Amino acid sequence: MSEAALPEPVTAALARRGILSWISTTDHKRIGILYMCTAIGFFFTAGVMALLIRAQLAVPNQSIVTSHQYAQLFTLHGTAMIFFFVVPFAFGLANFLVPLQIGAPDMAFPRLNAFSYWIFLFGALLVMSGAATNGGAAATGWYAYAPLSGIKISAGLGQDLWIIGLLMASISSILTAINMVTTVFIYRAPGMTMWRIPIFTWEIVATSLMVLMAFPSLAADLSMLLIDRHFGGHFFDPAAGGSPVLYQHLFWFFGHPEVYIMILPYFGVITEIVSTFSRKPVFGYTGMVLSAFAIAGLSMGVWAHHMFTTGAVSDPFFSAVSFLIAVPTGIKFFNWIGTMWRGSIAFTTPMLFAIGFLLNFLIGGITGVMVASPPIDFHAEDSYFLVSHFHYVLGGGSLFAIFAAIFFWFPKVFGIKLNEAWGKTCFVLEFVGFNLTFFPMYFLGVMGMPRRVYTYPNLPGWGLLNSLATLGAAIMAVGVILFIANVVASVRRREPVGDDPWGGFTLEWATSSPPPEHNFDWLPPIRSERPTFDYHHPELGKESAR
Amino acid sequence: MTLRVAAGAALLLAGLAGCGWAALPTGATSQATLMRTDWTVFTLTGLGVFAIVAGLIVISAIVWRRRGDALPIQFRRNLPVEIVTTVIPLVMVVLLFALTYRVESAVERLTAAPAVVVDVLAFRWSWRFRYPGKNVQVVGTPQSPPEMVIPLGETTRINLSSADVNHAMWVPGFLFKRDAIAGVHNAFDWHPERLGTYVGRCAEFCGLEHAFMTFSVRVVSPNEFARWLAARQTRAAAPADAPR
Repeated sequence: MSEAALPEPVTAALARRGILSWISTTDHKRIGILYMCTAIGFFFTAGVMALLIRAQLAVPNQSIVTSHQYAQLFTLHGTAMIFFFVVPFAFGLANFLVPLQIGAPDMAFPRLNAFSYWIFLFGALLVMSGAATNGGAAATGWYAYAPLSGIKISAGLGQDLWIIGLLMASISSILTAINMVTTVFIYRAPGMTMWRIPIFTWEIVATSLMVLMAFPSLAADLSMLLIDRHFGGHFFDPAAGGSPVLYQHLFWFFGHPEVYIMILPYFGVITEIVSTFSRKPVFGYTGMVLSAFAIAGLSMGVWAHHMFTTGAVSDPFFSAVSFLIAVPTGIKFFNWIGTMWRGSIAFTTPMLFAIGFLLNFLIGGITGVMVASPPIDFHAEDSYFLVSHFHYVLGGGSLFAIFAAIFFWFPKVFGIKLNEAWGKTCFVLEFVGFNLTFFPMYFLGVMGMPRRVYTYPNLPGWGLLNSLATLGAAIMAVGVILFIANVVASVRRREPVGDDPWGGFTLEWATSSPPPEHNFDWLPPIRSERPTFDYHHPELGKESAR
Repeated sequence: MTLRVAAGAALLLAGLAGCGWAALPTGATSQATLMRTDWTVFTLTGLGVFAIVAGLIVISAIVWRRRGDALPIQFRRNLPVEIVTTVIPLVMVVLLFALTYRVESAVERLTAAPAVVVDVLAFRWSWRFRYPGKNVQVVGTPQSPPEMVIPLGETTRINLSSADVNHAMWVPGFLFKRDAIAGVHNAFDWHPERLGTYVGRCAEFCGLEHAFMTFSVRVVSPNEFARWLAARQTRAAAPADAPR
């Protein structure tokens, strides 16, 4: 046999285009794209569920869905938005950006990285597949309190699929966090000292540390629930000496850091975008970094503010630590304003979404301080006031940052720019729709509407406020459809875009769009946290360097 | 122009705050009156913070919008400003915590000798109210919610627990809720200051009929309360109305 007849190495065949190349890829950029596209798929799915929820609640005493269907809808909506959209999108973006921002060729553990993605995907599909079982999907809410989620009351397979799927997702998050931290600590390019790392990457480091501390608690909690359900355990059964309060402790010990896991990466996104479109360096870089770690540290001591009404925790302690988080968050707000101060601000689509983020998140933050006060929480807890509060953080905050990130980095990821006029229209629809949906809920909450009710009586004002919320949701849906149309049309038109369409500051803008497989053919000298900017502005010399 | 926008925004904020005032129940217990102070202070502080911070964001964006290609001044830090913007929020949260602590201590304080005691048991999907030592008990269903009757101007102790999953006993008119958890025995006091009937709801999702797990609390004069209790005791003696 001649040498020419030898079969081609499998890896070479797989490295080419086609579906197999995506399944077998260990390239951090492709894994990042897989994460982000999957996350957006789950966003659409969970968004449709939200629309069904809003349709059911549009007017009093409606019955578009049954009580059991409604419970499955809000359970899957919350689970998918949190575990399969906001968190994995952040990790997808981090996968794509972190090695580029620190001048590395890939993540530290590329195959572990691919494993993390696939275990996340199958975990997510497992949770959603509950909807196809006889008893339906899990119907106990996204935090599935025991004993409601115990085998006596929720006997269906859906709850088991939910537990196992989330266990897989938590293992995925833990592995990704290990990968991120290792990459940033070890794989930085020459000259990229820790104090020159872009803020987005810093926020990912802080996020990853929180993941490493918080997710094992979720994994333990879910495992204990599974043991209680099927293997004769009594962790959460008071009749056998167990405690339902223990479930809440373990869940929220994960659950509150989780809230910051879902927002810190997006603080990073907003920082990069505000800085780029103000054409100024980040104001208070050190403060930005330290505040991220202050939030990460404090987040480990606030979990029981979700349990003020249980009567089983020290309310003053958890209230005090929760209040303290307002201080580093305030530092971030003033630094964003400081970055815009005396800048040259361009109102591009990403910048508009960033400003929308700032305004919405401000409302979410202020109401967050309110519910951190137990006497207020005694009324607001588990009411629509709380529903509105966390949607202002996750919807008005994280979701707006995700839109900003997509419009900002789409040219880098695919070498194609999205249509700006359509993008700005999309922003207006989302901003108006979002506030119309969720602002009325603050009033509904103080008026006494509890969360997770599938219908409500015709009390004064309740019908009107709920109808407004449903109208807002419809406006948001139109905005999302416009966004999809924008992507499709822009990809078809393939308008050529340079390597650096926005005048970006960080290293990802120094390479081609999309970047080559090994990321960089060439690196500019790294003398500050803005190497690409320094390279384009040699006239500023030392003045610009840190 | 900028002035008109600012005036419009201020008017909108004031309008929203007014709506919030109308939406928030007056608070029918002495505890609720205290907690309402907390709501008022936090809401006003929050509106102030929103007006200042959102104002700074929007004004910066408008004033320093891009007008040409010139590179703006590239400053990175201003330590005095950074210290001030750290210390101000710190002082604010310390003050807010002091208020919180005072109000919460008062709300959570248990009277040594309450005039009335009601043992509340939450179950899927209604409530059982027992007046210990009085031989009176009220059990509801989702279709016919139970009514708790308590006297005006006297302290009622509620002992709360659950027979199955987690529930939460919420009376929006009292601005108060507490979780009902199996194995946990929660106790709190209500000191009603206003006559009337107040709707109560389960606030913790507990299954299919969660939306209909309601009850009501009727605050009556002490005399009327005594009459109601006596009438219930007579009825309770009849076997047809035996406790569950």
